[in-house]
Amino acid sequence: MSTQGALREAIMQSGGTVGTGSVLAYVPPPISAPFGSSEPVEDVSLRCIDVRGAAAPPGGTAFLDGIQRFRVAGRIGIVPIVRGVAAAAVMERRDGTLAARLLEKEECLVASLGRLEPTAVARLESLGLPLYDSTDGDRSHPLLDIQLAGRLVERRREALERRVAEQWLATRSAGWLLIDGSITALPGLETSPAVLGVIKSHETQFLDGADLVTALTLPPGHRSSVFCRESSVRSRVYSWYLRLWPWEERDLLHGLLRLECAPDAAALGQATEISRWLLAERAPLSAPDGRWDRLLYPVQHVEAYLRAQIGERL
Amino acid sequence: MTSSSPEAPIGRVVATEALPAGPHQFHFWTATDTTLGIGAIVRVDGEASRTVYAVVVDGRAYSDLAAPLHDVLAAEGNPEAAALAPTRRTEIRLWTAAVLRQMPEEPLQPVPLSDVRLATKDDIVHALRMDTYVRTEQPMGIPIGLYTAGGTSAPVYLDADFLLGPESAHLNISGVSGLATKTSAVEFFLASIFQRFPKAKGTIAAVCFNVKGPDLCFLDQAGELSEADRQIYAELGIEAEPFKRVRYFAPFKADGVHLNTLRTNPALTDTVQPLVWGLREVLDYHEVLLNRDDIDAKSDAFIDFLADRVVEKEFRDDWGTTHRVRTFGDLERLFRAIFDGLENAGRSDVWRTHHIATIRKVRNRLMNISTRCKGLVTDDGSVSDVPFGAFEDRAVYVLDVAGMDQLGQDLAFTRVVSRLREHLERRDLGVDHVVVFVDELNKYAPSDGPESYVKKMLLDISERGRYLGLVLFSAQQFRSQIHRRVVGNAGTAIYGRMDSDELATPQYQVLSAATKIKLATMPKGELMIRHPHFTQPVFVRFPRPAVLTGPKGVERFPPAAEMPLEDAVVVQLVALDRAVSPGRVKELIAGRREVDVRRALLATKLAKPRDVFAFFSAALGPAVPRETVTRPAAAAATVFEVDDPYGP
Repeated sequence: MSTQGALREAIMQSGGTVGTGSVLAYVPPPISAPFGSSEPVEDVSLRCIDVRGAAAPPGGTAFLDGIQRFRVAGRIGIVPIVRGVAAAAVMERRDGTLAARLLEKEECLVASLGRLEPTAVARLESLGLPLYDSTDGDRSHPLLDIQLAGRLVERRREALERRVAEQWLATRSAGWLLIDGSITALPGLETSPAVLGVIKSHETQFLDGADLVTALTLPPGHRSSVFCRESSVRSRVYSWYLRLWPWEERDLLHGLLRLECAPDAAALGQATEISRWLLAERAPLSAPDGRWDRLLYPVQHVEAYLRAQIGERL
Repeated sequence: MTSSSPEAPIGRVVATEALPAGPHQFHFWTATDTTLGIGAIVRVDGEASRTVYAVVVDGRAYSDLAAPLHDVLAAEGNPEAAALAPTRRTEIRLWTAAVLRQMPEEPLQPVPLSDVRLATKDDIVHALRMDTYVRTEQPMGIPIGLYTAGGTSAPVYLDADFLLGPESAHLNISGVSGLATKTSAVEFFLASIFQRFPKAKGTIAAVCFNVKGPDLCFLDQAGELSEADRQIYAELGIEAEPFKRVRYFAPFKADGVHLNTLRTNPALTDTVQPLVWGLREVLDYHEVLLNRDDIDAKSDAFIDFLADRVVEKEFRDDWGTTHRVRTFGDLERLFRAIFDGLENAGRSDVWRTHHIATIRKVRNRLMNISTRCKGLVTDDGSVSDVPFGAFEDRAVYVLDVAGMDQLGQDLAFTRVVSRLREHLERRDLGVDHVVVFVDELNKYAPSDGPESYVKKMLLDISERGRYLGLVLFSAQQFRSQIHRRVVGNAGTAIYGRMDSDELATPQYQVLSAATKIKLATMPKGELMIRHPHFTQPVFVRFPRPAVLTGPKGVERFPPAAEMPLEDAVVVQLVALDRAVSPGRVKELIAGRREVDVRRALLATKLAKPRDVFAFFSAALGPAVPRETVTRPAAAAATVFEVDDPYGP
């Protein structure tokens, strides 16, 4: 028997699942916040709950996403001058067709202004674009400076997302606003009963032990019990996991979403219903995007719309 | 639905490196619920007053689905589930348009990446360059149909100079039988030409060969039109009325008294004239009738000898007899005299340098013509012909040859067209232009097969006719089966519903796949037009002709039943004059030779005299008892007169 065969046999005999990893040639970058804490809400110990198939989504559902681009336009001395653009949009679905409702775009410049001559700063200001200072500490670092500037552009994107979300919520008559990512990233929205966050990445784990095993090995069409995620920095929100596609023979996180909504009793009662219509969102498939198992098609559509709006180049 | 306002943009030109916009073709997108379709004309306005007109030649729709398998995966293999997806995929309607015209014409540049609008009525005029011949001091436009696409309806005109000469000429129409409405289209075109042909360009008439059934037999009778048809007539500025001047010509049947046509209803027979030719009318076109494999150079030489030296002349044979050959009967007597003379003279096999075998061969072939074309060609010299030299303006002359075999049709076609050409060359036909309509062109000018006299003549008309005013309107099912020089010289090409196999032939490779599909599925009453002024094919609708269709004509005017000779004579004379007594006619023709009765009847019908019975009686002549005619002595110089019943 080959080594591969012997290994598979050993895993299976131990009650494991084989073939769940792809070949990597690099070590994934470090995770800044790998762990968070949580407390049970629906069950004391996390349960695997069959949502009993997909159901038609509610009418008037809207989808929010944002994107950003930035590049080093040049350097003055060793200080990078970063040009960035961010955009956010809300698209509403009516009769199966998505139409843009709100769009916000912003182009900006980012630099460590404290390290530039006043004349250089004046020249940058004269361009008429918002100019943000990314200075953080006294020392320069050719890579860290760019990373800091990028984070600033990311904050601008979050600000735009929050703005369009607020605008939509202010005018909404019915329906959910489905946000790509954690709703805790948009302060002020996490308490809105109409906002649902869909998290595709699972960098921060709020569960541990048997609860974590239950959450990460959910079969397709099943959700976990609702729990409350806590964070010293971010607010409290209700959350649960939902498996869209089978993960066996693929990866542990394949087809696994974590959902977030406002921490109220109504949301708790809706967890199964929300999970059912998110199962329906498996079609259309967002392939060939590599994230197709977790990226909902309408969210991908908003992303494509934003890319068309700001272009691929800077 | 996109905006119905013609001024509102319906799309936008797109260009990528892989799919660029050129000076001749570009791509644009529209909303998915657009009214646009293949054949629609659009306008693109660029900067610096540049306007581009183009016709939509292809359209594609696709979504962001990268691979069909993704759809299967999403629906988990269940097609019903696929339809329940909460979000419809993003879909695009991407159109390809071929440029019709750029204004200004120079410098010729790629199409600007601008808004696309549906063409307005005025745009259609410019897009098809019709402003150069419709909006002039002397308009030359001949309405051909109505452009109807994207909510715009506009008349489309052909340039008379390019349809009827001298710049270009001829029209060819293709399409499958029954669905392409080729005959109806030509009937409408002729009506349009007759009403709108500019007076300044002179007079015009049409000669139509009816080659199948009752197709063209009721052009002078009004047909039924729908309100939609009348609307098209109104928009095109044409009166919906049948042809005012139509004359019909038909050969006799083999009995020599009934006309070989379906237009024999007594109510219509006054406009039908017999078409009867004699020896002289036929001999000049012997090449049509004689098989080239049979007739060699020696035979040709002998036929030329007969035509030049014998026919219609006094000819003295080598044995002292003078012949005046006017009919096939006279010719047979000449041949008999030659054979008898040679036989009596001894063993000589040669007469005037022509071998007796050649003479026998020619005699057999020529004498056979009157048998093979019986009804059209007579032995007795009677002639009733098309009125060459007296053609009338805006008149249609229909030659109904549908009941004749191919040989007779070939002869009729060749002789009539040749005579038209001769008269037009001499400018004494009676009109300045003649449109000759020939259906089933594949019979006369096939792309393969042996060279024939008919084909040579058609090639000649195609290539030289426009200078003479002789214009060929031809129709066939399969254009690919027609001689390339004939269809190639047709300035205007028209296509009705086409056969898919035909569209797969190389001739159609310039058309887009979508255009071919449109051609293969086109409803009745729609046509695709190619004309020298139109840089791309244009689709139009035309109304039903305002004449009675063949089948309905036969229904309304049933053909008269055939009857015995004496009854037929009575009926035809009574039709000319109600005062004629049937009893007297029967008494008059009793015991007379049928050939004499037929000749007298034809003469009476042609003369249309005031006193029909008297004329008929005189033409028939007095009754003479039959007697045995003895052959005259060889030495006696005698003249055989054609019409002399007392001759030897």
